[in-house]
Amino acid sequence: MQPLKLGTHTAPLPLVQGGMGIGVSLSKLASSVANEGGIGVLSAAGLGMLYKGSPHYEENARDGLRQEIRKTRALSSGVLGVNIMVAMTNFADLVEVAIEEEIDVIFAGAGLPLDLPKHLPKNHKTKLVPIVSSARAARIILKKWLQNYDYLPDGFVLEGPLAGGHLGFKKEQIADPSFTLETLLAEVLTVLRPFEEERKQAIPVIVAGGIYTGEDIFRFLQRGAAAVQMATRFVTTHECDADDAFKASYIQANADDIVIIDSPVGLPGRAIDNAYLEDVRQGLKHPFTCPYDCIITCKKEAAPYCITLALLQARKGNFKHGFAFAGANAYRATEVISVKTLIETLKDEYAVAAQSSDPS
Amino acid sequence: MIFEKIKRLIADELGIEEDTIELDSDLSEDLGADSLDAVELIMAIEEEFEIEIDDSSAQKIKTVQDIVDYLEDLV
Repeated sequence: MQPLKLGTHTAPLPLVQGGMGIGVSLSKLASSVANEGGIGVLSAAGLGMLYKGSPHYEENARDGLRQEIRKTRALSSGVLGVNIMVAMTNFADLVEVAIEEEIDVIFAGAGLPLDLPKHLPKNHKTKLVPIVSSARAARIILKKWLQNYDYLPDGFVLEGPLAGGHLGFKKEQIADPSFTLETLLAEVLTVLRPFEEERKQAIPVIVAGGIYTGEDIFRFLQRGAAAVQMATRFVTTHECDADDAFKASYIQANADDIVIIDSPVGLPGRAIDNAYLEDVRQGLKHPFTCPYDCIITCKKEAAPYCITLALLQARKGNFKHGFAFAGANAYRATEVISVKTLIETLKDEYAVAAQSSDPS
Repeated sequence: MIFEKIKRLIADELGIEEDTIELDSDLSEDLGADSLDAVELIMAIEEEFEIEIDDSSAQKIKTVQDIVDYLEDLV
């Protein structure tokens, strides 16, 4: 496996641990992954609900992100990132904190981060990596960033339809063969090529969504990806920041428990089915009080429940009041292992795949 | 005329026939533009008219009329 270079940062492994909110990838998981040579990623989603030093959500969110970045940094000198959703009402606020704290990489998806470079001082250590689900989105960001900021993205995460949580696809596209990650990757590479040639600068593509084994990693690197992003597989590790009951829900899940839901924020999402979601389908859930207007696109007047609160409860292991987001392969987990063991397994699987594809 | 120019741009960007576009057409509901189409359309207008449309104005644009009004206000 070749290292992953994002601007001036080099991770020994071409592996990014995907940011998982709410509170599923925080300092413990991110630092463990970074210590093993991957990029460890904190999720900035809902931190204002986990940190409660002040009566104000925005202040708690800023403070929470700052503390998590410092904790992670104290535990690892590897490459660290933070995932900040563009759709969050306090997106700009959190980007500022991450830059002040000199995070290595900001991953920004769930919307087009068209203004992201505006926050970055010249020659700053922080690298900017948008998360997209199509070649069109990649092209729009490239054009806007070059035109307005003369800034070429330091990489792209390309998230396909098998990912967990909110998805950047219409429901009918999720199972459509013209939207497989393989197809999307080829399209994105085609869009990037002229920009890379003109600027004489490589734009690494990190593929995500359904990557589960070392063999998967090998297959996508062969197809031109620079790295992969994996999240679901890191949930069933000792170091994952969610409650043990959250991890157990992955282990217990069968293939047909992994479902697509309509999230109140107006996107489809992939989750592990449970009684809570069944109640939602039956129309038994009722309007809630909105704790903080956190997502720009949330249809909170029409929503039967609050996605932030439901995910937060699941993260604490309280499935009576919530449910877990998960990737398409979540049901494959059989045990909780350490990040170190997981990464060694991936390396071994990768080596086997590389060897069997080598004709010599 | 601004409306004629806009019609051509929208037809190009969305891949639809010009005569389906009316002044009161809603870009997403009537013409089927998704959120990426909307951003691409704004970029195409910026190029064509050599202007810059700031984000808050861009977000207010829902119909063809909104685009025409915005451009007429500039002249």
